[in-house]
Amino acid sequence: METMLAVEGLGKSFKDKQIIRNISFEVKKGEIMALLGPNGAGKSTTIRNIMGIMYPDAGSITFHNSKNKEIPRNKIGYLPEERGLYKNVNVMDILLYLAELKDYPKNRAKERALAYLKKFGLEGKDKVAVEELSKGMGQKVQFIASILHEPELLILDEPFSGLDPVSQELFKEEIRSLAEKGTAILLSSHQMNLVEEMADRLFLIHRGTKVIYGTLSEVKREYANFKCTINGVNSRSLLEGLPEVERVEQNGEIAVLYLSRNVQPAVWLKNLPAELDIQELSIDRISLHEIFIDIATDKNLLKEAGEAHA
Amino acid sequence: MKHMRNTMKVAKWEIKRNMKSKSFIIGLFLTPIIFLAFFLLPDLFRSDEEPAATKVYVNDELGVYEQLEAAAASTEWQLEETQIAESEAEAALEVEEDAAYVFINEQSVENGKVTVYTNEDTDSGFMEEVQVLSGPLQMMQIEQLGLTPEEAGMVAQGIVFEDASVEAEDGGLFSEGMLERIIPGAFAAVVMLSIVFTGMAIFQSASQEKKDKIAEIILSSLTPADLMQGKIIGYFVLGIIQLIVYVAIILPVLLWKIDMPIMEYLLVPELAVLLLIAVLGYLLYAALFVGIGATMADISTAGNFQGLVMMLPFSPFLFIGPVFSDPSGFWAQLGSYIPFTSPGVLILRLSLLEEWPWVEIGIAVAILAISVWVFMKLAGKVFKTGILMYGKNATPGEIWKWIRA
Repeated sequence: METMLAVEGLGKSFKDKQIIRNISFEVKKGEIMALLGPNGAGKSTTIRNIMGIMYPDAGSITFHNSKNKEIPRNKIGYLPEERGLYKNVNVMDILLYLAELKDYPKNRAKERALAYLKKFGLEGKDKVAVEELSKGMGQKVQFIASILHEPELLILDEPFSGLDPVSQELFKEEIRSLAEKGTAILLSSHQMNLVEEMADRLFLIHRGTKVIYGTLSEVKREYANFKCTINGVNSRSLLEGLPEVERVEQNGEIAVLYLSRNVQPAVWLKNLPAELDIQELSIDRISLHEIFIDIATDKNLLKEAGEAHA
Repeated sequence: MKHMRNTMKVAKWEIKRNMKSKSFIIGLFLTPIIFLAFFLLPDLFRSDEEPAATKVYVNDELGVYEQLEAAAASTEWQLEETQIAESEAEAALEVEEDAAYVFINEQSVENGKVTVYTNEDTDSGFMEEVQVLSGPLQMMQIEQLGLTPEEAGMVAQGIVFEDASVEAEDGGLFSEGMLERIIPGAFAAVVMLSIVFTGMAIFQSASQEKKDKIAEIILSSLTPADLMQGKIIGYFVLGIIQLIVYVAIILPVLLWKIDMPIMEYLLVPELAVLLLIAVLGYLLYAALFVGIGATMADISTAGNFQGLVMMLPFSPFLFIGPVFSDPSGFWAQLGSYIPFTSPGVLILRLSLLEEWPWVEIGIAVAILAISVWVFMKLAGKVFKTGILMYGKNATPGEIWKWIRA
């Protein structure tokens, strides 16, 4: 797969405060690469440096097919985190203007704009002034504006924020189909669950530095240990005495046992003692959502594992 | 090349956006119409009160009616001979409006007194005006003294005190020579005012970009410099459009109302210099507006600093008094060399001065041009950072930091 964007050792400070440091990742053709992290982790700063809206203090940004380091603006679609539209103009005018700025042919743009408006349930809104649109409709128009010119690289900064679940699904579907057609997509989010289902690879950032980088399954395999949830009346000491158990979270009759990294689930299950009261039992890997919360709240559940593999 | 194209796209967009906005269109036509209303309304009201020509009935027993008619040529009167006797005059006046009866007989010449009957409606200035009729009667008095026609002419001529001061040739403010300079100057001032006023919308446009949070989307397609220059050019064109509408509406009325060869006075080579000054002035103020607009989230939250900068285009008004009283004096020269006052002061001075001080003009235009360049650079720096600072105003300290960066 061709690499459309390569970020190497990116660093940026404001005054004495370092916002991001040593950020390196790639975005390849046809993949969805997720930039994840809690609020204030440095996601938007990273993206703004890529877009040339800020200038990095350290590191390099390389675009595919771009000579002399210039940002190939016409081939990039960008949906910023802080976004809006001119209020007193109509929807079609602004879409055509934004496409014109990308040197995209006007007739094609108009055709595609109408098709997308229809797709997003905004049929007949092309002559409506932007200020008359609801917030959700406005977001859809902004999204259309970012993909209208068929970009090779699409950068979406928190595309789902403020959307209702139906619109979220619509956006997800469209993003997926764009990736299938070969668009390289970098999207940032703080909503792990949304991204978990669609990202091919992810870069988890916290306090401006890398925590995890890899494909979704790699990340799960490497960082997400198994956890076993047991519903039954058991004493804490009994649970803590079980093999391979690193930590126990007990809430009434439900206990969550966090198992060590090298546990083999089948073997571990076979060796459970007979006196254990099991009404229900499930075993699965810790979800990305849990990893995310864990990182954001500075629990050290994952930290040891992370450090061991860093 | 690519930057120029992007700049033009932005300019085109700004023009289109404004031309489609109702408030701009209304403003476009309303201002000249209001101007015309102020210009023409007093005229309309006055026309009701304007006196019809005063009817002057002359009972002439001496046969000087023709000379009287000639003497009254400069008045607005309607002169008419009458045979009405003096005793009937009062009765006759009661049915007349704005009329007067003049009785000229032997006695008038003998004791130099002419009886004039007027009524309430007679024009208030009539009794002064009627003195013009004294000429022919004086001539008769002189003739009766038996002087030769030459001697008579000398006496009748009287003594005139002639004004021989240096400026006498120039006449008043509106003498021909003066108009030749004032008309291009006034036109240049209108050009500058209209593009500066339209240019103030740049400020609105820049801060709106922040308020609507669209700047980052736009800047993913072009550079801040492209965006800024596009706005400056776009609003320049809008200013010119405004000007064309002004001229199209006002000029025909002026030509019709004012009986002067305005076009001949307007289209002189000096106009080119005046327009150059006006355009430079626009560019300077446009740089200010676009820079300041980018530091503000909203016009209502303007700080003292921003407010002060916004007032700079009005600074030439400070110099109006001193420049009028002495267009070549110290204050006039000072005003020409300060970038922010120079466009206004130069245009005013050049409208008043008969001989243009070309060296001074050269220096002043050079200072102005350099200032335009410097302020464009500064505005670019402020704009680049400010336009992305959503939702808050920049402090003077911050602005200073961006400029130094």
